[in-house]
Amino acid sequence: MTENFANNFEKELRRRLAPVDAPEGFTERLMAALPAERAPNVVAFVPKVARPARQFGVPAALAASLLGAVLFGMHVANERALREEREGIAASQQLMQALRVTSQKLDLAYEAVNNPPTTGDEENRS
Amino acid sequence: MTLSAAQPMPDSLLAQARAGDRTAFATLVRAHQGSVFSIGLRMLSRRDAAEDLAQDVFLQLYRKLDSIESAEHLKFWLRRVAANLAIDWLRRLPYSATQPLDESAEVATQDPEDDPLMSRELMRLLGELAPHPRAVMLLRYQEDRDVAEIAAMLDMPVNTVKSHIKRSLTALRGQMIGAKLVDCEELP
Repeated sequence: MTENFANNFEKELRRRLAPVDAPEGFTERLMAALPAERAPNVVAFVPKVARPARQFGVPAALAASLLGAVLFGMHVANERALREEREGIAASQQLMQALRVTSQKLDLAYEAVNNPPTTGDEENRS
Repeated sequence: MTLSAAQPMPDSLLAQARAGDRTAFATLVRAHQGSVFSIGLRMLSRRDAAEDLAQDVFLQLYRKLDSIESAEHLKFWLRRVAANLAIDWLRRLPYSATQPLDESAEVATQDPEDDPLMSRELMRLLGELAPHPRAVMLLRYQEDRDVAEIAAMLDMPVNTVKSHIKRSLTALRGQMIGAKLVDCEELP
């Protein structure tokens, strides 16, 4: 008998755990406790409105941050390029100025070597 | 109109209840009150608490009728809410979980072939299980729900449900056989 009980334990559980009846008059008491009018289910509309914001809020914020970072990076890179260009032009102008001065000096030196002062000049000097 | 939870319920009844037909709602209540009340009674071990729980479940249903999609969904929803509410109440009132089952004969099914002592022992042992395994066992053996449904109802992994069933069965079977052996030895 014990073995049989062990083997059929699950079947036995199902039989012994069959639902029991609710107390007498349960439905009537419940119906009396119900509100006269069922409130319209307005809550059902809330998720439909709120859901897109909740669903896309975080990705949208991330995308906006990413876009902001990219634009800021582009702006910084552009500024740097302009500054470097300005510095390049200034350096180039300085170099040109230096070359011009050097060229003038060389001209003078060339002039002095190729056209030495005349004898009269020497006499005047002595 | 009288229906039981075992009978297929027309979706039209649900639609009528949704439209505000109180008679249709009462029919839905009558069809499911036994199951909901039994979950409460076997979880909480007290008739008054079980009736309060069943009332609470059906009042919630009345407010949320619009979200119930079909008769099958209604069955699922009622059992899920009843089991979770009972677990919640046990968490708030832990003493009821360890209370002796004074009304154990009523908690068990009223089958004339039943051995009332054995049934009382089974209910006592069931009452000794922790709330979650107890709910799992009731949904499995009282409500005949499959493991996946129980997992969805109690929001737990399928493997946890299987593990609760296996461990609870082993414990109950061992203790019931022990009790039966004692009974047999005591016989003249």
